[in-house]
Amino acid sequence: MNSMIYKRKAPLLIFLIPAFAFLLVYLYYPFFQNILNTVMKIGGLGRAAEGVNEPWYENYQRLFVDPYMRVALKNTLILIVCTIVFQVGIALILALLVDTIRVGAQFFRTVYFFPIVISATALGLMFNLIFLYKGGMVNQLLLSLGKLPYEVKPSGKVIVQWLDWKDQAHFLFTMFLPVMWQYVGFYFVILVTGLNNIPQDVYEAAALDGADGLKRTRFITLPLLRNVLCTCLVLAITGALKVFDLPWVMFGAGMPENMGWLTGTYMYDQTFNKMNVDYGSTIAVLIVVLGVVLSNVANRVFRPSEDI
Amino acid sequence: MKKVLALLLVFVMVMSFGSVAAFADGVTLNVVTSYGGDDGNRANFEAAVKAYEESTGNKVNDGSATSNEEWKAKVLTDFETGSEPDVLFYFTNADAEPFVSAGKVVSIDEIRAEYPDFATNMKSSMMAVAADGKQYSVPSSGYWENMFVNKAVLADCGVEVPGPDYTWDQFLTDCETIKEAGYTPIACSLVEVPHYWFEFMVMNNGTVANHLDLPESADDEVAAKWAAGLNDIKALYEAGYFPANTLTASDAETVELFNAGEAAFLIDGSWKVGYFTANAADLDDFAISYVPGKGERSASEAIGGISMGYFITRKAWDDPAKREAAVEFVSQLTSDEVMSTFVTTEVTALVNGASPAGLNSLQQSAADANANITAIAGAVQDSLTAEARGDLFANVQNVVTGKMTAEEAIASALALN
Amino acid sequence: MQTGRQKISRAFTYLVLSLWALTTIYPFVWVILNSFRQKGLIMSDSFSLPLGEAFTWDNYRTAWQRSDFKNAYLNSFLISGTVTICVVVIAGLAAYGLVRYRFRGRGFLYSLIMAGMMFPVFSTIIPVFRMEAVMGIAGTGNRWLSLLAVILPQIAGNLCFAIVILMGFIQSVPIELEESAYLDGCSVFQIYFHIIIPAAKSSFATVAIFAFLWSYNDLFTQSFFLRYPQERAITGLLNEISSQAGVNYGLMAASVVLVVIPVLVVYVCLQKHIIKGLTAGAVKG
Repeated sequence: MNSMIYKRKAPLLIFLIPAFAFLLVYLYYPFFQNILNTVMKIGGLGRAAEGVNEPWYENYQRLFVDPYMRVALKNTLILIVCTIVFQVGIALILALLVDTIRVGAQFFRTVYFFPIVISATALGLMFNLIFLYKGGMVNQLLLSLGKLPYEVKPSGKVIVQWLDWKDQAHFLFTMFLPVMWQYVGFYFVILVTGLNNIPQDVYEAAALDGADGLKRTRFITLPLLRNVLCTCLVLAITGALKVFDLPWVMFGAGMPENMGWLTGTYMYDQTFNKMNVDYGSTIAVLIVVLGVVLSNVANRVFRPSEDI
Repeated sequence: MKKVLALLLVFVMVMSFGSVAAFADGVTLNVVTSYGGDDGNRANFEAAVKAYEESTGNKVNDGSATSNEEWKAKVLTDFETGSEPDVLFYFTNADAEPFVSAGKVVSIDEIRAEYPDFATNMKSSMMAVAADGKQYSVPSSGYWENMFVNKAVLADCGVEVPGPDYTWDQFLTDCETIKEAGYTPIACSLVEVPHYWFEFMVMNNGTVANHLDLPESADDEVAAKWAAGLNDIKALYEAGYFPANTLTASDAETVELFNAGEAAFLIDGSWKVGYFTANAADLDDFAISYVPGKGERSASEAIGGISMGYFITRKAWDDPAKREAAVEFVSQLTSDEVMSTFVTTEVTALVNGASPAGLNSLQQSAADANANITAIAGAVQDSLTAEARGDLFANVQNVVTGKMTAEEAIASALALN
Repeated sequence: MQTGRQKISRAFTYLVLSLWALTTIYPFVWVILNSFRQKGLIMSDSFSLPLGEAFTWDNYRTAWQRSDFKNAYLNSFLISGTVTICVVVIAGLAAYGLVRYRFRGRGFLYSLIMAGMMFPVFSTIIPVFRMEAVMGIAGTGNRWLSLLAVILPQIAGNLCFAIVILMGFIQSVPIELEESAYLDGCSVFQIYFHIIIPAAKSSFATVAIFAFLWSYNDLFTQSFFLRYPQERAITGLLNEISSQAGVNYGLMAASVVLVVIPVLVVYVCLQKHIIKGLTAGAVKG
């Protein structure tokens, strides 16, 4: 694999320096500040530190005993699994299917992209109305199917026992469904690009050998997509750890009853609402550490051995 | 792809030639306020700014935005990095303390040494006092919190619109009647906005005079008053007077419940009048009434005050070109005439009072209710640090569900104060 | 001619694709419909057609009247266009270097990139603002400097993700192409520009699309650096108009439509390059 071309390392500097200079100044230095913040006492956003925490590792200690943090980690882990299975899975199926058709392929490629461009505020509002407690779209549907109990008061007023889609029994579904749905388009575009990079003549050769349909997918397309799928896996893991906007719009601060936290929403809430900036910074560090560890594991397991 | 990028660049360049801003003579003043977004007074503010620009020839660079925690953080960061505006309209409570104590804003006394007439149309007693005992800001519009009622729902349940002598026992009876009739008595999202009920329930267990006292420890008298207030909310929750999904509903959802004629009572603030003006099917269905009184508190006592004001920054004051312009700006924006366009139903600090005109029925109802208000106190939550406040209100849901006692919630918040 | 079995499987393919398309088109239509709905009616009645009394142009009129749209669109394109170009160029170089070269510390650099992808913008924004204020870029009130103040952190913020995606794609380019070019006497840079870029052209287009999208929609960074009217970008401007306690959902829907249109135009333009056939001939492995 390691070709002669790349024995001379000097050009490497030109390849890497622009990117890492940017990252150093605009990501690593600020994040280093963030790490410093984790041991400081900070009274609010935008305020200077008032000194070092007592003991300095107070916030890290708190990570381990904070029950909401445990909730956030549990939910996020479930989300990671769902993301990999459903987001990447559905996107893969759709990409493979679109790859087999000619008429309308352009149309599907365009409309599958829609959900990612609409802002989370608008989508959150829409899903809130779909799952609305009183008279939401789903509840109306259930009512008309006769699935909801109701009673009629003597005054003639009908009282329906609506289904609360955000209660403890249903919140995971209501929170994850929009997130899953929104990002299928993202992985779809990446996978379509990957499929497009597979040279046509590989398929032609396979066709000569009599491979077609599912066989072709199983033995040619999927192996050649392996690198790209692995990238998707890594993006799915890191994405799930960071997921913020849709759940935040729909579930706010850990609804229902502090069972609905995710690492992303909990970090934001601590920093901006609870004004616990130093603890928020500590959660950010945990998110980063988890992301690096999990994506390295994923790479070890799935990436062809000679690459990273 | 190159073509697309080239097109993009050409487009960008053509656009930039078309929009080189022409700067007028005179001073350009950087102003940051919270009159951005959909603020009810935005149009009034913008008209006043325009009038200022026309009368002085100065230009105002208006960086107004919607007030929220991110905005507050931005403003504080600006002061830390020396990029603060010339004039700032901001909260006057503990939120302002970082830049006040750093000497980044100029006190009223210092301004008056040079401009003796500055802000003399304001009642000194209504102007916020900082931790060092000095006044730094000129108040503008104020706020009140009180109980909105849906008259159509009350009529359907045969319940009278509450008056200024409304009692707690009567309120509980009414809630039961309303619940029996199949409506939700109280529209409130306890998970998002428990603070309105907290303020009034605390006052119900104390007095308007001692409302602003803060607990020293979790077992003193003030803490006991707070705990009793929280337990009153818990009792209402257990009686089923809040919406069934009060712990999972958003504020927007429960307000809409009230707006749509499914709930009878809503405690909210003066800023909500605009919501109903814009969204109510029939504005006459709504009225401003009184929060039921208990113990020593009468229903005619409410929460209100002035929480924001105009600051002139040290940076503008020390700039000879801007000093005069900044002082003139604040003077114009807080003049009796301009303030009368701002003040509709709100509290005012004007010595001569405000004279609003052209009120709609809900604004009129608010004005009538305010005329019956015998005393107001500020919101006690404003005296808590942001961290303690956030913790306390996040724990209200734990108190009503019994996961935590009221005393534990208060102790937890005090530990952060 | 197609066999019966092929026909059935083709029909099934279209059925599945169309079902998913329904779920993605519907919300878009929903937003457009509600942008024409009379205010106050969305909460109570958001899933019907806004006809007769309920129909209104007011939301667009209000949005349009309130602000300087031309300027805001220009700012957005300046910011996101620059970010996109810089990200594609810089990330392409880095991804190529990381994929093809074997050197000590490569795994470490890769982990740094993974870490960089995880940094929540909420925790880096204040240090970045302070740093740029010291550099004299942020908080000056100068329009062009303020735009630059947004562009720089956005480039950094999009780089990691772009590098990770491009690495995945460049790994799939058969190395034999490069070896034969090398034997023909090409330098590494010639190989990069003449072999890698054409071979991975659609991948660069994909990265460009997402860099543009993230940058354009990044309300948080924009609203932190762009305060004054002449600096505002379109996303921030419309959010400013439609914000506050969900008072006016119709206005919000209209804002969403106005924001979304440019992104869709860019996507459709760049998408041509992701379509099979245009690039298939470039790679002969």
